[in-house]
Parts: sequence; C-alpha cells; structure tokens
Amino acid sequence: MNDKIIYLDYAATTPVDPRVAEKMAGCLTCEGMFANPASAHAPGRAARGMVERARAQVAKLVNAEPVEIIFTSGATESDNLAIKGVAHFYRDKGRHIITSRIEHKAVLDTCKQLEHEGFEITRLKPDQDGLIRPEMVRQSLRPDSVLVSIMHVNNEIGTVNDIAAIGSITREHGVFFHVDAAQSAGKIPIDLKALDVDLMSFSGHKVYGPKGIGALYVCRTPRVHLDPLIHGGGHESGLRSGTLATHQIVGMGEAYHLACEHLTEEMPRISALRVQLWQALHAAIPQALLNGHPTQRVCGILSVSFPGIEGESLLFSCQGLAVSSGSACTSADREPSFVLRALGRDDQLAGASIRFSLGRFTTAGEVDAAVRIVSEEYRRLRELAPAL
Amino acid sequence: MAIFLDHNATAPLDARALEVMLPWLQGTHGNPSSIHRYGRKARAALDIARAQVAALVNVQPVQVVFTGGGTEADNLALKGVCSGTPDGRVLVSAIEHAAVMGPAEALAAQGWQVQYLPVDSEGRVDPAAFEKLLDGNVRLVSVMLANNETGALQDVRALAAQAQKHGVWVHTDAIQAAGKIAVDFQALGVNLMTLSAHKLNGPRGVGALIVDKRMDIAPQVVGGGQEQGRRGGTENLAGIIGFGKAAELARAELDTRMRRMRALRDHLETGLKRIPGIRIFAARAERLPNTVQIGVAGLEGEWVVMQLDKRGIAVSSGSACHSGSGKPSHVLRAMGVDAASARSAVRISLGQDNTEDEMQALLAALTAISSEHRSTGMSMMETP
Amino acid sequence: MTDEAADYSARVWDHFRAPRNAGVFPAGTAGVFTGRAGSAHHGRAVEWTLRLDGSGRVAECRYRVYGCPATIALCSLTSEAVWDMSRGEAAAYSVVGLAEELGLPAEKRAAALVVEDALRAALTGYNGG
Repeated sequence: MNDKIIYLDYAATTPVDPRVAEKMAGCLTCEGMFANPASAHAPGRAARGMVERARAQVAKLVNAEPVEIIFTSGATESDNLAIKGVAHFYRDKGRHIITSRIEHKAVLDTCKQLEHEGFEITRLKPDQDGLIRPEMVRQSLRPDSVLVSIMHVNNEIGTVNDIAAIGSITREHGVFFHVDAAQSAGKIPIDLKALDVDLMSFSGHKVYGPKGIGALYVCRTPRVHLDPLIHGGGHESGLRSGTLATHQIVGMGEAYHLACEHLTEEMPRISALRVQLWQALHAAIPQALLNGHPTQRVCGILSVSFPGIEGESLLFSCQGLAVSSGSACTSADREPSFVLRALGRDDQLAGASIRFSLGRFTTAGEVDAAVRIVSEEYRRLRELAPAL
Repeated sequence: MAIFLDHNATAPLDARALEVMLPWLQGTHGNPSSIHRYGRKARAALDIARAQVAALVNVQPVQVVFTGGGTEADNLALKGVCSGTPDGRVLVSAIEHAAVMGPAEALAAQGWQVQYLPVDSEGRVDPAAFEKLLDGNVRLVSVMLANNETGALQDVRALAAQAQKHGVWVHTDAIQAAGKIAVDFQALGVNLMTLSAHKLNGPRGVGALIVDKRMDIAPQVVGGGQEQGRRGGTENLAGIIGFGKAAELARAELDTRMRRMRALRDHLETGLKRIPGIRIFAARAERLPNTVQIGVAGLEGEWVVMQLDKRGIAVSSGSACHSGSGKPSHVLRAMGVDAASARSAVRISLGQDNTEDEMQALLAALTAISSEHRSTGMSMMETP
Repeated sequence: MTDEAADYSARVWDHFRAPRNAGVFPAGTAGVFTGRAGSAHHGRAVEWTLRLDGSGRVAECRYRVYGCPATIALCSLTSEAVWDMSRGEAAAYSVVGLAEELGLPAEKRAAALVVEDALRAALTGYNGG
C-alpha cells in the first residue's frame, strides 16, 4: 500500500504554510531578534517591533484595533481567559452563563470549572441542523446573566452560527458575548467593527500558523474587563503575563496576513472541493448521512455518518486517510462524539462518523482518492457483517 | 556586532535545538491528540522531549507538565495547589520573580494569607524566620532556586527538609538555575518545580511544571485533557521538541558550560572591582556561575543600561519584566539595600557564547561611563 | 501497512485488514450449524456457521462479524484455530485466552466473550441436532 497518507484533518491542525515557517525560522536564527521584547536595549526593541507588527496583522484579518488583540498560548487559553476573566471580574454582577452543548472542550471544561465555583451554566441544545438559534439565546437570558459563549463555527460538523444576530441580543441586554472563532478565522470573513462581540478567541495552528500560539480579542468600545488567568510581569496590558515568544507571534501574524490575502480566493475553491467530496461519497454510499446544516456551513468541514458499520473499524480501515472521528482533542478516548449525540445521532451513527476537513493544500485528486478509500472500506465492512 | 549580556532575560536559541525544531515548523504535522499516523508521530516526538526534560532534573517523564512558559507554570504551581475556598497560608520568599509574586498577590486578593520570607543581606532566605512561620496550616511554600537578578542560590534542600517536617508542600522556581547549575528535583526534596525553555537556550513560549507524583493540582487552563488533564490546549509541538533538545544539551554540557561561564565571570568581577564606585550585590552568597549584579554609585541603572546600549552592549537594570517601571528592585530592597543604590543596579548575565574579549569591552565601556560621569560632575541621582 | 497507527499488534492488524474464512456457506450446504451472539446496539455482533462432519469434527467454518478491529481479528484467528478441531475441543476453545495472548487491552475482552458465545451457540446447535 502506498505510504503517502492523504491529509484531510485541517480542522484538527493545519500544516504550517512554508511562508510562515520561513518568517519564523528567520526570527529564530536572525542575530539579535531573539531578545526579550520586554527588554529596554536595542535587540529588545527590535523584537517588540516585530511583535507589534504581528499584532496589527492579526487585528487586520478580523477588522479589530491592534490594541484589542492579546496574545496567548493558544485558543484554549484564550477561551479560558475570556470566560473565567469575565466571570471573575463581574462576579458581583451575576453568576449565570449561557453556552451550548456543542462548544469545544476548552469552553465546556471552563464552564464546568465555573460551575464548581458556584456559577450557573445554561447549555443550549442545538437544533437538528447543529445550529444555536439566536432566539434560543434570547429565551435563556436572565437578569443575572453575565456572559454568553457561543462558537462561530463548530469544529466537528462545520455549521456556522449567526453571531451577528446573537450579538445584537446580548448587547441589547447588556450581557457580554464571547465567540470561539478557532475554526472560522481565516475561513469566513469576520468584521469585529460590525459585530456586537466582546471577546473572540483565535488559534495560530488552525490557520497555517504554529502550534502553541493564539490570541484573544478584547473589545475596547464598549470596554470589557477581565481578571487575568496568568499573573506576574504584567505583559499584554496586564491581561496575560509571561515572556512573549517572538517567533511564535511573528508566525501567527504572517499566517493571519496570508489568510487575509487568500480568503476570497480560498473560500469558493475549498467549498467546491467539499461539495465534490459529499456528492461523490453520497453517490458511492447512498445510506451516508450528512451531519449539520446543508448550506450554513464553513467551506472546509464535512461530517458524515455511516449506518451499519462500526466506528473504530471504519476509522482504522481508512489508514490511507488522516481524518478525525470526532474532535481531535477528544478522539483519543474514543467516546462517541458529544456533538453528534447532541444532534440526535445514536451511538452507532455517532461512532461511525468521519470528519473530513479540507484546506489550502487539498487537491481534487485527494478528494477522489478519499472517496475511493472510504467507499471501498465501507463495502468491505458491510459485507463482513451479519444481518443486523 | 552587538554584545549580548542579558541571558537571564532570554538566552539565544541553540542552533542544535533549532535544527530539531525546523522540521516541525514546516510541512504537515498532526495534532498529537489525533489517532491517525500524523497524530501518533507527533505524540511520539512529544514523548521523547518529555523524557529529555525529565532527565535534566532527574524525574520521570510522567511528572512533566508542559505549559506556555515559565510564568504560566509558576501560576499553575501556586494557584493549582491553592484552589477552592481560601484555607491556610502561603509562604513565598521576598525575592521571587514576578511570575511567583503575581499569582501570590492574586491568591491574597482571593483571601489567602500570603506571607513573605525575609532574606539576609546576601539575598538568602533566613531559616530561623522560615521556621517561625511554618506550621501545618501552611498550604504551600515557594522559594526560588536561583535569583534572576543577583544570581544568589537558596539552600532549597534545607528549606524543603524544614517544610517537610510540617508536611508542607514546597515549590521552587528553577527557571534561572536549570541549565546553569545541576538541578535534581528528588535530591532537593521539593514537590513542584518550574522550568523555562528559553532560559536554557531553548525556544520561547514553552515551559514546564514538574509535579510530585503524590500531588493533585487544579488545572488553570482546561479543555481537551492534554498533559493528563493538568493543562488543556494543543501542544506547542515545535517548541516542546526544541525544549527537549535544549534540556538534553544542557545536561550533557553542564560541566563545560559552568566552568566556562564561571571563568568569564570571575575574570569580569576582578575587573569590575578595579572600577571606582562599583559594588557587586550578593557578593558573598553562592551564586549562579553566569550572573553578576552591580551597583554603580551615583548613577541610575537605567541610564547605565542606555549608555551601554549605545555602545552595542545589551545588559539590563534588573528583571526584564520590570524594565521601564523605574521602581527599585524589590529583590535588592529585601536584602536591605537602600533605594538609591537599588536604583543603580545593572545586571550582567553571561551565556555560553560570550568571550573574554567581550568582557574586556564591557569593562572598558563601564570604566568610560563612570569616569565620564565623574569628570563632568553630572549627578544622575541625589545621594542618600 | 504497519500497525503503528493502532494500539493493536501486527498480527491483530493483519487479521483485521484481511480476515480469513469470512462469509457464509452456499445455500443448501449440509451439516451446517449456526450460532449468534451480541448485537449492533452493543457495538458487536458475531455469527458463526460451522460444517461438522460425521464424527463431529469441524470440517469447515465461516463467520460474519460487526464490530471493532479486535472483534474482527478474533473471529479470523479463531476460525483458523478451531478448524479441524473435534466438537469438544472447539467448545472448550478459549477466545478470551486468545485475546490475552494477543495482548489486547482489557476493555477488548468483551469482544472475545461475544466471539466465544457465538461459537458455543453454534456447537450447541449440533448437540441439539
């Protein structure tokens, strides 16, 4: 068998764009650029300049002010900082938080921690298309609600929530709105000046940047205050202490700069590949079920459930493919996806699901090969099975 | 060509660490949590790095929790032990880095009783004063192994033995010590230890907390269950791999590095003593082989730093995290140094690539700066 | 393909990728006994069909299987093991022992039980007939 594996797991992590790697390597090797950006001397100032340039690049992709961008170690930390930061700072204002059942673990686990601290959490159930409807948010608001945290794009099924409408509702009620945009930044246009969003989490490694770097957008007007998660040193406007990793930040800046340049070209191209994938798959396996809303979705994510076969065997049969059975962060424990369960898929279907995620370097040939592998393995496993 | 003498702020990435990182910064690599081949390859690389870091401080790989840096690891140590309803006291030395002071203050704001351990004139925690504050009601003690400003070493082994008699957990921030002196978690008898990659010629943005196997700590960044549930978030793969390599090199080359840095520093100190008005802080304490903090009588440390900067020499006036604040160092103040002398502090911290010629250049520059100042009669500072 | 992508040994992986003796007998084959265990709802289902000769020896065996890679591999390996065994030997054959020998993780022992139950059910069919 060919040893070359087809990578269709861009939602778990993307390859680092060679242009990003080049910028980062330059930063790591270049004499002087290694200095601590907090240092007063010339090398320190040079490093600080590069950090600020990167901050502006990240801000530009989402139309925010550079001062509103705080660098973190990743989207998970950003989610933790946003949610705990608001909850703790405004603890006297109220202790009710609204989120959804299909958030990333970074949000769910953070809310669970807050629940132990005495906060009340409402976890909205998505509709059958996997969407959190703005009306659901409105109906669950209470006088003591302080924060709503709803993801922009779901990482497992790729559905896109209407954060503009949700934002209008939260703003109208004076409740803060946090959006996990780890899966949407660089894949969907985001205009934070037009959105009523107070906090937004970003990832480096989901946008062809490095792992271990992320950012949090913290709205200045109207101002949102946060209790820091990491204290000491007062870096990043006091919101996130710790020495800044210049090469990581420069890498994320370049990645966001490239996303800004390629967005309008990439969206239709990757969308077309995803449509091709679903149509070919559905033609080969008519029983296959699409998870999530048919059109209100991000360009690169396709989640499909396969009736009549066992999930682990399906996944392990498709060794020529790098895909996910659920969110990568939870797939190691091989529990049926909680997102698919929330959509009403039973254990068998939730288990026998594949998330294909396409990206910048995906080709039509890879899509064809993926369809071939999955349909052949599906047929093999079906033939092996007794009448069920 | 600039002379870099600010290694305690950040040390340049070792070329050999960079070499092992580069392949992970390029091409397609999996998320270590994914079960397909890309993911498993990433996981395997992570495991190797974990073993390398563990070996540096003589622990088992399972005890290593990778974080986004030393500051985060210090936060995790303090807040991870002191979680839930405030109940008990926290003892931290008066000369800790901001990465420990910050979370200690945050704990105090939550209602924990935080007490600061006094140090002597050489920056060493006073064991008698420590003993008086110790009892079973103390939740955690945090004493750094080597101070980032003066380089003074603490007798952490003795302090940990004292604490252990009362069944008290001990954390040590070993960020400055690791890679510069031998650090053995088990021999020190501590329960938590912080490490930072970039202070030992690894990459920035990655650190580790070493955790006693008997201990439970509350995670501070959750979601995804990485690092055995102690720190969520997709791992900084290239960074961790670079950290592993840097740790391996630091361990293998420790003796050579120590000998070289000590020789350079001793030579430098001999020269410094010949310049009028210069004093060395914590001179009588056992110190890191690479660090010397001086006071230049009558001059502002910040001003000296800028003068040296103009001559292409990078040093700092204290902790990089405090530069520009204008406040005198809390470390020197805790040692009983008066405010004016504390403001005159300049920290010189050497690395493995520094040369004897560079020491001579620094000495020449300092001599020129201080004599210029004396000849113009310019007073940068009011004498106390 | 190597086994690096799975928690399974090379042998398990091989039998999962290329199961031996899978399938059913042609309709009308004489002396065939069928036994089933498990259900799709519980994640695994196995159906054995054994052709026993006049002396009660397993002359041929087939199976169909729905389940994880371990379940599939256990069926394949068991089919090779019990082929040519006497009825008594086959009934005493321990699939659980096989699973242990293969180093399958403890949570996969349930798979071995289902394979074993289905095999015994098929042999009990012979007893009754």
